[in-house]
Amino acid sequence: MPNVILDPTGTVKTSAAKQAAPRAPRRASLNGARVGLLINTKTNARPFLEEVGRLLTEQYGVTVTKRTKTNFAVPEPESVIKEMAAESDVVVTGVGDCGSCSAAAAADGVVFEAAGVPVAVIVTDSFRATADAMAALRGAPGYQYATTAHPVAVLEEDQVKQRAAQVLDDVVALLTNPQADA
Amino acid sequence: MTADVAPDPDEAQRAIEYCYDQGWSDGLPLVPASKPLVDQFLATTAKDPDEIIGSLEQVGRDCTVYLAAVNAAMAGCKPEYFPVVLAAFEALMRERAARGGGFQSTSGPAPLIVVNGPIRQELGFNTAGGAFGPGFRPNMTIPRAIGLMVRNAFGIVPHVFEQATQGVPGRWSICLAENEEESPWEPLAENGGVSGGASAVSVTLTRTMEFVDNRHAPNAEDVLRDFQDTISRIGSQIFPKSAVALVLCPEHAQMFASAGLSKADVQNWLLERSGRTVGEFRRAGKAEVTSRRFGPPGAGGHDDGPPRADDEFHPILTGPQSIPIIVAGAKNAAISMVVRIFGEWSGTAVPVGEKK
Repeated sequence: MPNVILDPTGTVKTSAAKQAAPRAPRRASLNGARVGLLINTKTNARPFLEEVGRLLTEQYGVTVTKRTKTNFAVPEPESVIKEMAAESDVVVTGVGDCGSCSAAAAADGVVFEAAGVPVAVIVTDSFRATADAMAALRGAPGYQYATTAHPVAVLEEDQVKQRAAQVLDDVVALLTNPQADA
Repeated sequence: MTADVAPDPDEAQRAIEYCYDQGWSDGLPLVPASKPLVDQFLATTAKDPDEIIGSLEQVGRDCTVYLAAVNAAMAGCKPEYFPVVLAAFEALMRERAARGGGFQSTSGPAPLIVVNGPIRQELGFNTAGGAFGPGFRPNMTIPRAIGLMVRNAFGIVPHVFEQATQGVPGRWSICLAENEEESPWEPLAENGGVSGGASAVSVTLTRTMEFVDNRHAPNAEDVLRDFQDTISRIGSQIFPKSAVALVLCPEHAQMFASAGLSKADVQNWLLERSGRTVGEFRRAGKAEVTSRRFGPPGAGGHDDGPPRADDEFHPILTGPQSIPIIVAGAKNAAISMVVRIFGEWSGTAVPVGEKK
């Protein structure tokens, strides 16, 4: 009998690959919600998310808490996610504008959802493939997130604010629209 | 079939195409790996085939000794290279950038693998001219094996989790065997903690390189200034501090040694002088690199000190570990290479394991 050709690929550990990661139930509205901003420390991520927070405060009377990611390149430690999930009704995170941080943002999003917190993940449109792949790997194929045009790092202050305003409807929809559960 | 009858090329081709069809290849043909072949690899190590030798938590993947063996076989390694592959992978996974998002990075960094000790001769590494390749089986197939492990065992595939903007020429194909015979100094492995001339592998991630061709200057200090200039280029600086590997040709290394300089002396000379002024960085749009506020709070950033003056010198290297020196190539011209390190070198070498 001839030899078979061996497969050099590994498989994803069951601890990382949830068969079907649960989505958090959506809120009817953001009125009075506690919004957690998880800032990934990439250039302009802070003013971008702070402007999103400011607009949400203005329009929905939300309260905002901010945290910065321990390491933008990898998913946030579970302990930080738990603490943030306890103090937030919804979370906005980003801006995933690189290979590792876009994947990490999607991974964080899936973990927050499993902890019962709706999330709006923001990545730049150059990194859809890697965000999609990470969401699928974490058991959330088709996971929905918001995109903004690449690049973000080179934008001036007022341009960042403009971008935040442009993505706001998508962020609100992701956090409230039950369709996003599908 | 007798041994001197050539194998069936059509069958070989079908096997190669099968490997392509599975998505296992880096673009070049793979050696189809069979169990008898992979068993020969596994027989060279005392490690258990199921032992995990590296993990990428963010993608939930482990690389086992077995998967390393299959990929090394497919890369074209001989079974006896396998202990070097294992040592190289261990050294690579000691790099913080490799465990973090390095393989996914837009930078597309390339491992620089450096082999020391008698294993260089035992396995037939090229230790002389054309150090960066190609032309020699262990030098070419061992880094390829590492690349296939990242692709297949970790699942970091281009355009999906691998997001290199342009990548780095030589990615998965750089393996230097240090020219210890013509080096005036201790081998790199000794700087990495493996002394006594034992066989060992050191690895760091790199972002391309630039040559320094200086074959006419009779004065060591002039040549050092030439290196200083190349190391100090602004284009590759994205953090306040950076690191370079200096791959010196034997001629430059011997010139420095003849001038009474140890490896540490060369490192210290360049450490003090490599960098640019705050103003030079600012005029190249890199003011952030010299800013006291660089980086997130807790990572050295957000220091509200007074702005730095334009004429203040901003050194880019931090210590000997930020400028490892390797001697490689032929003693036939004074041409050396400045290799940009991605992140920082772990500063450690991994001994090549022997089967107990």
